[in-house]
Amino acid sequence: MAMAMNPIQVLQNGAEEEKAETARLSSFVGAIAIGDLVKSTLGPRGMDKILYSPTGQYGNGEPSVQVTNDGATILRSCGVDNPAAKILCELSKVQDDEVGDGTTSVTVFASELLREAERLVELKIHPHTIIRGWKKAVAVAREALNESAVDNQADPEQFKEDLFNIARTTLSSKLLTQHKDFFAKICVDAILKIRDDPKSTLESIQIIKKLGASLESSFLDEGFLLDKTPGQNQPRRVENARVLLANTAMDTDKIKVFGSRVRTNDIKSLAEIEAAEKEKMKEKVEKICKYDMNVFINRQLIYNYPEQLFADNKVMAIEHADFEGIERLALVLGGEIVSTFDNAENVKIGKCDLIEEVMIGEDKLLRFSGVSQGQACSLVLRGATEQILDEAERAIHDVLCVLYSTIKETRTVYGGGCSEALMAQAVQVLVEESEGKEQHAIQSFANALRQLPTIMADNAGLDSADLIAKLRAEHAKGNKHAGLDLYNGCVASMDDLKVTESFKVKRQVLLSGHEGAEMIMRVDDILKSAPRQRAPDRCM
Amino acid sequence: MTAGNAAAPARAPVGKLGEGAFKDKEKPTHIRMSNIEAAKAVADAVRTSLGPKGMDKMIRDDKGNVTITNDGATILQRMKVLHPAARMLVELSKAQDIEAGDGTTTVVVVCGALLEAAKQLLSHSIHPTKISDAFQRAATEAIKVIESMKIEFDLSNKEAMMKACATSLSSKVINTHSVQMSELCSSAVLKVADPEKNSLDLKDIKIVAKVGGTLDDTELVDGLCLDNNAMGTTRRMEKAKVALIQFQLSPPKTDMENQVVINDYSQMDRVLKEERQYTLNLVKAIKKSGANVLLVQKSILRDAISDLAIHYLNKLKIMVIKDIERTDVPFLCKTLGCHPVASADHFTPESLANVDLVEEVAIGGESNCTKFTGIQNAGKTVSILIRASNENLLAEADRSIHDALCVLRCLVKQRALVAGGGAVESELALRLGQRAKEIGGVDGYCLQRYAEAMEVVPYTLAENAALNPIEVVTELRKRHNAGEFNAGINVRKAGVSNMHREDVLQPMLVSTSMINLATETVRSILKIDDIVNVVGRG
Repeated sequence: MAMAMNPIQVLQNGAEEEKAETARLSSFVGAIAIGDLVKSTLGPRGMDKILYSPTGQYGNGEPSVQVTNDGATILRSCGVDNPAAKILCELSKVQDDEVGDGTTSVTVFASELLREAERLVELKIHPHTIIRGWKKAVAVAREALNESAVDNQADPEQFKEDLFNIARTTLSSKLLTQHKDFFAKICVDAILKIRDDPKSTLESIQIIKKLGASLESSFLDEGFLLDKTPGQNQPRRVENARVLLANTAMDTDKIKVFGSRVRTNDIKSLAEIEAAEKEKMKEKVEKICKYDMNVFINRQLIYNYPEQLFADNKVMAIEHADFEGIERLALVLGGEIVSTFDNAENVKIGKCDLIEEVMIGEDKLLRFSGVSQGQACSLVLRGATEQILDEAERAIHDVLCVLYSTIKETRTVYGGGCSEALMAQAVQVLVEESEGKEQHAIQSFANALRQLPTIMADNAGLDSADLIAKLRAEHAKGNKHAGLDLYNGCVASMDDLKVTESFKVKRQVLLSGHEGAEMIMRVDDILKSAPRQRAPDRCM
Repeated sequence: MTAGNAAAPARAPVGKLGEGAFKDKEKPTHIRMSNIEAAKAVADAVRTSLGPKGMDKMIRDDKGNVTITNDGATILQRMKVLHPAARMLVELSKAQDIEAGDGTTTVVVVCGALLEAAKQLLSHSIHPTKISDAFQRAATEAIKVIESMKIEFDLSNKEAMMKACATSLSSKVINTHSVQMSELCSSAVLKVADPEKNSLDLKDIKIVAKVGGTLDDTELVDGLCLDNNAMGTTRRMEKAKVALIQFQLSPPKTDMENQVVINDYSQMDRVLKEERQYTLNLVKAIKKSGANVLLVQKSILRDAISDLAIHYLNKLKIMVIKDIERTDVPFLCKTLGCHPVASADHFTPESLANVDLVEEVAIGGESNCTKFTGIQNAGKTVSILIRASNENLLAEADRSIHDALCVLRCLVKQRALVAGGGAVESELALRLGQRAKEIGGVDGYCLQRYAEAMEVVPYTLAENAALNPIEVVTELRKRHNAGEFNAGINVRKAGVSNMHREDVLQPMLVSTSMINLATETVRSILKIDDIVNVVGRG
């Protein structure tokens, strides 16, 4: 009976369990910490973070420094150990994949909800009551958002204006804010190009970063740019190009059997085999040249010998187009990637009107214009440092994602804290109407919504308590366009300032923020599985 | 507990800040200050190397190699700075190097001064974004001021180019040779520049640096100068026909692994003979093509050329130069107007280049270099052969010439000059100060500080030249106030004089990019409120 006295061990050695209050506390603490980490980057006057990696981003040992205010990038980079914090990081990642923007907002919103919930739990309100209240609140908020949404799809001019405004709003919180009109125009042009073509996706817009000059020298170019040059003595300009895309070894066709080798008795036969190998390469090139094409692009290297053979055949041959490059080319040129060259008839050859060399800064690039999928375009970013270019690329990516989702879901809402205040107002009405304990939860939802404009005002160095009170009053009076003008530090009509945001982004922030918070609320037990034992090293 | 009580605490400002909710928290302030301090430390480190009388730094790396330089970008690059914000200054000087190629020290010093100004403004509890915006505005105004000072210039004006070169070189070790070097750089650039496209590809200028001789022996080679020396006995070839081959002159090697099995003595003999025969056949094929100078591309897979092949080629009086890098092939083709030959049966008359004289030049030491002169249908390229008496001087001369070439490239890109010697910065301090008084408010206050920060350049220049900085700067202020906008510090005469008349000129692009980049960096440092350590990637 000695066993009965020992504590019963249910879990494996090394596994941990946190229960009820402890579990909830650790969730709240983790989630709120994450929210606090990114909340200072929110809004047009948000701050940046340095991401410092002592081992370097690319694993080359050189310490690297990244400066960013993109929520998704920050959260992706900082390692988190807390399960609830992980959920919030996931949330921002999903937001990034789904709509591309609002990655900070969604995290901050979820963490603010949890901050409110923590207080309610302290008041002994059961988590399920809170969840029920939130459910009601989110339905009302969504309804309010739906109602406030404007759809200008019918009027192309107005719609373009909308897109432009959305791009400006998104850019205003980024590094590019000084040049937001300039970049907003570029992005809108790019999106409108691919808009009417069902085959085009965001993939068709290529972003190329080139060091040097300033951000204002960035431009949008027709067609597709490839950062490669043709081989020596090959044509530098091809009209009516027919492009064969390939992924094949152009050094030699090796027998891929381990340990295969040539065994000879004398140098002569060795030389003959070498000649035979060369002959084989020549045959391969001849086979390739039989295709109805005048440009050959290979993913792998093209060695000197085949390069010269191509030059003799007046074929432009481009080697070492990287994986992404060649996939994209296949997409925009409408060709397919081949690796064997026996049946010349069945292969789709990519086409474009003109391939020529263009100078960007110091470098020469190849431009494919008039591609069969006519909507492809390239956005060339210029900037003084790597960091600026990287951050600019992230910003442009966000804008393009938002615009792309806007052309699918054409409704727009007002930004600058207007939509949040509007939703909060609608929820506030519900508070007064509802009975029972849920009322607290609904109230907390409204508070969390109001936190977003509060934080934006704080970041801009304004008196948030004063501004938010004014904003609330305006909305209570029914002024549905009121929002924060963070540049002048006052409440103004967002309609006049043209601060518009994508409806889809806002809805996504509301829904996934709520979902994430609810998920964390439901947790009352955290189980950590035992770390897997490392197998003992045999070499020791 | 009633419902009203529950709602009230929930609405209190989050973050437990109480009534001061709009105030910045302590941590961001702390981080901002530490960033500014770290960045300023970097700026202070390079301050003494600014200007013509600036000092050099000796940098020893972990392997014990020594670099002596006063090129800001190089110093910072080798300093192995760890602090993230300080690294941004390193990036800044790199960016200036890429953008303008010169002024890499100035840009860091100016950035340091602007950070000092920002620090003071922060201590007056002005919100960082306000400062950031005001600085951006100041930069825009500054660019306007610089543009109003510009001196037009066109490419036919070689004299002006030389002046700009000389200004850039005056701060370097090789300043005693600045006349010769500027002449050399200007001629090189004029030869390769494309005046219609406003572009200049520095890759068209090949710089070969060789220890030995003195700086006086540095020369511009009209044609081609190769770092490699000829193999074997043939070292000079008149009326040369040059072929660039990309195949190998060595015993055959298949791409599959190979093995020659020898069973007895006679076979061994035969193998040796066959190898000789094989090589001889290749050599004969080359001879038949008419080539008498052979450039052999380096190969990683096997010997590019065997001793046996060199022996045969020498017997046939063919000059051989090996170890040509593949990356150099396009340059060589452009210069010589030849086509590379990738296989022995591909020789055609067009692929050969005709050159009047190919000659190996003995320049002391173990390695020689080879000069190609009188190239027929040559491309627009030049080579510069730098000589110096020791490695350190040579490396510094190389960097200085690179800077000078970059200065000229700026001039090709944007054809305007401004006066050097701190004239631009003094004028900026004056004009921005005036503007600050017109604007007023927080913006005006920040602008005033920005303007004052600009005076760091003349101040440091004077300090480094052992002049009395206060006297010089005040004298400069007086002159600029009187409308002498080209007045700057004349280090040679130890006083203030008109820089335009003293021929101290620099490209406008250097100044504008300095303002833009320094301001941008200060703004991004101000905007940072946290440092996140990235974990586990790779």
